[in-house]
Amino acid sequence: MSASTSVPRERVARRYRQPSYARRLWRDIRINRHVYIMLLPVVAYYLIFHYGPIYGVQIAFKAFSPTRGFLGSPWVGFDYFKDFFNSYYFGRLLKNTLLLSLYELLFAFPAAVVLALLLNEVRRSSFKRLVQTVTYLPHFISIVIISGMLIDFLSRDGLVNQLLTWTGREPAAFLSDPAWFRTVYIASGIWQNVGWGSIIYLAAISAIDPTLYEAAKVDGAGRFRQVLNVTIPGILPTVIIMLILQIGSFMAVGTDKILLLYNSSTYETADVIGTYVYRRGILDSDFSYSAAVGLFNSVINFALLILANRLSRRYTETKLW
Amino acid sequence: MKKWISSLVIPAMAAAALTGCSGKTPGETAKGQEGQSSPSAAPKEVAYPAKLSYWVAMNANVAATMKSFNEMGVYQELQKRTGTVVDFQHPPVGQHNDQFNLLLASGQLPDVIEHTWAAVSKGPDNAIKEKKILRLNELIDAHAPNLSKILKDDPELKKQIMTDEGNIYVFPYFSKEEFQRVYNGPAIRKDWLDKLKLPVPQTIDEWEKTLTAIRDGDPNGNGKKDEVPLLLDLKVMDFGHAFIGAYGITSGFYQDQGKVKFGPIQPEFKEFLTVMNRWYKEGLIDKDFATMDQKLKDAKMTGNLVGAMAMNVGAGLGSYTSLMKPKYPDFNLVGVPYPALKQGGMSVGQMNAPFIGTGAAISANAKNPEQIVKWLDYAYGPEGHLLFNYGIEGQSYTMVNGKPTLTKEITTSPTNLPVSQAIAKYSHGSFSGPYVVDKGLTEQFSPEPFQKQAIETWMKADHAKLLPSLTLTSQESSEMSSSMNDIKTYYSEMVNKFIMGMEPIDSFDKYVGTIQKMGIDKVIQTQQKALERLNKRS
Repeated sequence: MSASTSVPRERVARRYRQPSYARRLWRDIRINRHVYIMLLPVVAYYLIFHYGPIYGVQIAFKAFSPTRGFLGSPWVGFDYFKDFFNSYYFGRLLKNTLLLSLYELLFAFPAAVVLALLLNEVRRSSFKRLVQTVTYLPHFISIVIISGMLIDFLSRDGLVNQLLTWTGREPAAFLSDPAWFRTVYIASGIWQNVGWGSIIYLAAISAIDPTLYEAAKVDGAGRFRQVLNVTIPGILPTVIIMLILQIGSFMAVGTDKILLLYNSSTYETADVIGTYVYRRGILDSDFSYSAAVGLFNSVINFALLILANRLSRRYTETKLW
Repeated sequence: MKKWISSLVIPAMAAAALTGCSGKTPGETAKGQEGQSSPSAAPKEVAYPAKLSYWVAMNANVAATMKSFNEMGVYQELQKRTGTVVDFQHPPVGQHNDQFNLLLASGQLPDVIEHTWAAVSKGPDNAIKEKKILRLNELIDAHAPNLSKILKDDPELKKQIMTDEGNIYVFPYFSKEEFQRVYNGPAIRKDWLDKLKLPVPQTIDEWEKTLTAIRDGDPNGNGKKDEVPLLLDLKVMDFGHAFIGAYGITSGFYQDQGKVKFGPIQPEFKEFLTVMNRWYKEGLIDKDFATMDQKLKDAKMTGNLVGAMAMNVGAGLGSYTSLMKPKYPDFNLVGVPYPALKQGGMSVGQMNAPFIGTGAAISANAKNPEQIVKWLDYAYGPEGHLLFNYGIEGQSYTMVNGKPTLTKEITTSPTNLPVSQAIAKYSHGSFSGPYVVDKGLTEQFSPEPFQKQAIETWMKADHAKLLPSLTLTSQESSEMSSSMNDIKTYYSEMVNKFIMGMEPIDSFDKYVGTIQKMGIDKVIQTQQKALERLNKRS
């Protein structure tokens, strides 16, 4: 956007030199058709599962009845949105959703970067591989199993409490005390995903030009200085892209995991928009209402994504688009 | 042939003769020739359907040994007799409510949907109006002679299965006798009481003393103070009312001399919470009660840790005993009276209404409803009655003195299955379905004296306060479901907090105020109106 004044002239010039976009695309498809064929399933996936269902969003504005169908149900405007904003739980749901996302951003997100930086400093490759394997294995375990393990570990006479009593501390009601829920959620999230998340940063680190390190060494930088002045700036674009992506799904906290971990005594801190939508929509078959709530959630996500990208474009050179 | 049997069989054969005429089932024709000609021929006789699809929640008793209802003796035999091939569709155990809602939303309904239709959001009348299921009154009159006869003989039953708008919406699951409808109540480890030289507690105060003794007396004898004196499960309390019933209320809606009330906002509920909070603090109830699920409950019970718990007679008393007896020969879990507030007092107990809105509905897309009605009606005839209750003669039951009697294979299963699971291989007897439960079955169904004794003990409770199954208009139920959702969430959250002491009992009034703000008064009024309509129904 910054170079906007010069764009038109450039375009005009290009138009004379190059064939049209469609023609270029067509030529590219002919040449690289295998690549495009590989792309097809992905495009189909998005069309079918992400763009197709947008049609159904209209039920958020309709008194939807399955027998009348999408088109037959009468319009009610923003009634469901108003209901939700006025509902008893609106404030709490919003707060819980935002806080869980914020904590994830504050703790879980940097954890992967830090792990990658630390792993990079490990010289024994066998140890490094071991750590990597151990840390990213939990990523491959189903969330249902993970939650089951958590419940076992954290119950009143579970592993964690036994360790606590063994070291002379009071056992805690991790799963029924609302004060613990956020900690349990975030900490277990880190445990499950930190290793996997660090892979992309390790890849980014390995792409840093080694001559930069040599130059830094010549300038007298120690290990810590090298990390600070070479490694971190080197992976910063990757970190920022990941951050923007993360913000894009800011409000989409792991509903499935919360559903598996929460219970009525932890609703106070655990109930988020997603779980509320599940209870209202699926359990009470209040489809229109929950569609409205879900849509509200997505709109916030969308706005945050745009905002994050704009901020990043303004203050750093990195951006998604 | 005994007179009793012949009186059952002859009309059935007559019915078979009629089917035979339609020529669909060759086996039936031969049978029909032996029977007498039928005096009451329906105007236009239809055949059994060639095939139909049937959606029903998987029952845990069936799931224990089988994957589908198709493997059950009752449906294999039914297929032989009617020639109808049934395609059973089962949602996963524990998810049937979610799956049911999704099924309705998808619009692609199977022919028959068995569910608790009265509990469906917006109610059965709305489901009929929205053309999801059929109004069955006329179809039953024309094509279901067996059910018609039952309804004619028992006007009270007819009153219960009809909605306010006069619709019959399912082939009902119906159990007449009180004995069949009481199956949940408090149970205690009698062997532990004997060890501690304690009598069976009768009142809440006595329970407190008993539970304290269990906590301190190390009745499981492992030298550790690891006993859970009372395993409290609020979900069980919600329908069995153990402990809360002592205060003359329930944790849901109940009636007090014809007036509907909501238990959680009554002053008595505060007293109940005070006691539970004390019990929790003292370690008399399980610390993990808020996160309790069935697996954890079973683990604690079979881990020889639990002193008392409210449970079902079959999948509870029966199954725990058969699991524990081999390892702990002294194990003696007995059903005990619902604790009362004062000596000689009465507690609200558990008793289902004869009809709770459960049964098989026919979806509006079914192509041949008349045939399906005829097929469903089979269970209400004499032969079907035997088949659905007792299963297959010679395998799961034999006729002893004219009475169907469960065989050894069922009552003392060689593979060590509890009766409820053993019988599920052959018949519907241990769980709901579109049929009328036989009185004799329930009596045999709890063959162990301790189970019979438990039911008899639990029957001695106050059932007058329980609400019958009410039907709401679609308008009423959609209004109600919206406030009840918030109220239920708030209630379940606060109850846990009150009991665990995270919220002081003093804020009870504030809690009541919040529930009132959420619109409970209007909901109570709605329920009141529905109750009055039911009482006026004729």
